Amino acid sequence: MALLEVKNVTKRFSGLIAVNDVSMSVEEGQIVGVIGPNGAGKTTLFNCIAGALPPSSGSILFDGQEVAGKKPYQICQAGVTRTFQVVKPFATKTVLYNTVVGAFATTQHLHEAETKAIEVLKFLDLYNKRDVVSQSLTLPERKKLELARALATEPKLLLLDEVMAGLRPQEVTEMLPIIRKINETGVTIVIVEHIMQAIMNLSEKIYVISFGKKIAEGDPHDVVSDEEVIKAYLGDEYVATQH
Amino acid sequence: MKQLLNQKPIILLISALLLGALFILPLIVTSPSLMQIIILIVLYAYFTSTWNFVGGFAGVLPLGHSAFIGIGAYTSTVLFQTFGISPWFGMIVGGLLASLVGVIIGLPTLKLRGAYFALATIAVGEGMRVLFENVKQVGPFKINGPSGISLPLMESSFWTFQFGSKATYYYIILIMLLVVLLLTYFMMNSKVGYYLAAGGEEPEAAEALGIKVSRYKLIAMAISCFLAALGGTFYAQLMLYFYPKSIMGLDLSFEIAFIALIGGRGTILGPVLGALLLRPVSELTRIYLGASLPGLHLVIFGLILIVVMRYYPKGLVEPIKKLIDRFIHKPARGKADDPSNPSARQE
Ligand SMILES: Nc1ncnc2c1ncn2[C@@H]1O[C@H](COP(=O)(O)OP(=O)(O)O)[C@@H](O)[C@H]1O
Ligand SMILES: [Mg+2]
Repeated sequence: MALLEVKNVTKRFSGLIAVNDVSMSVEEGQIVGVIGPNGAGKTTLFNCIAGALPPSSGSILFDGQEVAGKKPYQICQAGVTRTFQVVKPFATKTVLYNTVVGAFATTQHLHEAETKAIEVLKFLDLYNKRDVVSQSLTLPERKKLELARALATEPKLLLLDEVMAGLRPQEVTEMLPIIRKINETGVTIVIVEHIMQAIMNLSEKIYVISFGKKIAEGDPHDVVSDEEVIKAYLGDEYVATQH
Repeated sequence: MKQLLNQKPIILLISALLLGALFILPLIVTSPSLMQIIILIVLYAYFTSTWNFVGGFAGVLPLGHSAFIGIGAYTSTVLFQTFGISPWFGMIVGGLLASLVGVIIGLPTLKLRGAYFALATIAVGEGMRVLFENVKQVGPFKINGPSGISLPLMESSFWTFQFGSKATYYYIILIMLLVVLLLTYFMMNSKVGYYLAAGGEEPEAAEALGIKVSRYKLIAMAISCFLAALGGTFYAQLMLYFYPKSIMGLDLSFEIAFIALIGGRGTILGPVLGALLLRPVSELTRIYLGASLPGLHLVIFGLILIVVMRYYPKGLVEPIKKLIDRFIHKPARGKADDPSNPSARQE
């Protein structure tokens, strides 16, 4: 049985269909990529899975349980943690404080939460920033903090929404092994990313979304040579010149 | 507790000396009217510290806190008047009642953000005062509408919560304040405190991390209202006379919020600092100008607030903490401002 099963999920905003009858299936232990042009509906799909928005229709099974329409905190407690594309740190609090909030998901005790948080910060190479107030972090650091907080909740499934956007190529290169290492500790990952190199490098399977619709899925290399995908990304002329 | 005692020895020494000084204060101050002013400083520090549980941590600005103080005063007083029940017991009943009312009010209002919550609490607070002003009797309990209640004078004893000496009142409210400050400290260093702060600052992110934000806000509301009501009973026993305007008025709610904002909301010492500074101002304007310009103290507080917010948006604890850091934690100059200063824990 798949760990995450999204079945025919649709999300409408007055008039606009942001996610249109999308289905996807994520097996335990996988890294699955979701790509698509800006405004395709990727974040909205994450919002539906994580409970930030109730889907208009469709079903979302996590670990066999229906989670569509549940509250974000319930879904997090069930084992799904997401990061925000537009980062939302607890701005006046330090990096350590932010991460401890995440770590409290699995314990009642401050010292245990702190131990867990410090472990995560060391893992993500943020430990030397632990006492910096998060509003004075750089954007790449804030993206990392999003990841740190999410990881501290010890999720079974991690939804990463463009955690590498805004990173320099070298920083992306550093991030890839970190994400793979998170996956190796047993965390299943669904990752939305614009950077093709990153997605290709990480994912076992890719879903392509355009205008709310799933237009392709499968092995990364097959998917990127798919005509419709090239069209969605690069326009019709590009496809024409290929022939 | 371990963390609390884990401070630098010099901090512990200074704290012990300060505490000692607070406890021998009544031996030095012999004037009852001066003692009364000091008691009110401690009482307002207490009120504001109870306000802090919601106003300081939950990311909202309550402006109707006096409603819960009033519930405390009225509950213990009518129970004593009608059934002879000791105010100590009535105090607990009042606390529980205030907690209940607070949670009922909090359910719809705590979802509101910013100014909307503040306005809602003003409306609830004022509504409650008007209600009490228009009711003379509830069942067997006489509350006498706008003229309020005078407590029957009793012999000085623990049971009646009436004392001949101001010093006793002083010790009671001092201990109440210390207990609330200790509670604040433990709350800030617990899961509830972290979750409350997270939900107050960025509710969407908090929910995504598994936090049922509304639940933690309600917990804070219940604690805050319970403790506020205890202070209300104390006020009733100290004054032996109160009426809706004196104990449930907007004046009191605003003064508490001013003390918190100027002293430093969301900190342990902010309410104490604010009360130390603002209470004397409020006493003096009332003594010298109260007849001609009632409410002048709030105008002065407003002016102080503008100046303080301009330079220290987090309140006056900010510069004071910096000073302490400079002289005690980091004698090496300049380093106190280092943002990566590891000693910058919650204090
Ligand atoms: N809360 C919302 N209300 C109305 N429209 C929205 C909302 N969230 C997203 N949209 C719209 O849905 C579409 C998909 O957006 P989004 O999911 O953010 O795309 P992506 O993450 O793929 O860039 C966009 O047209 C966007 O304007
Ligand atoms: Mg997006």
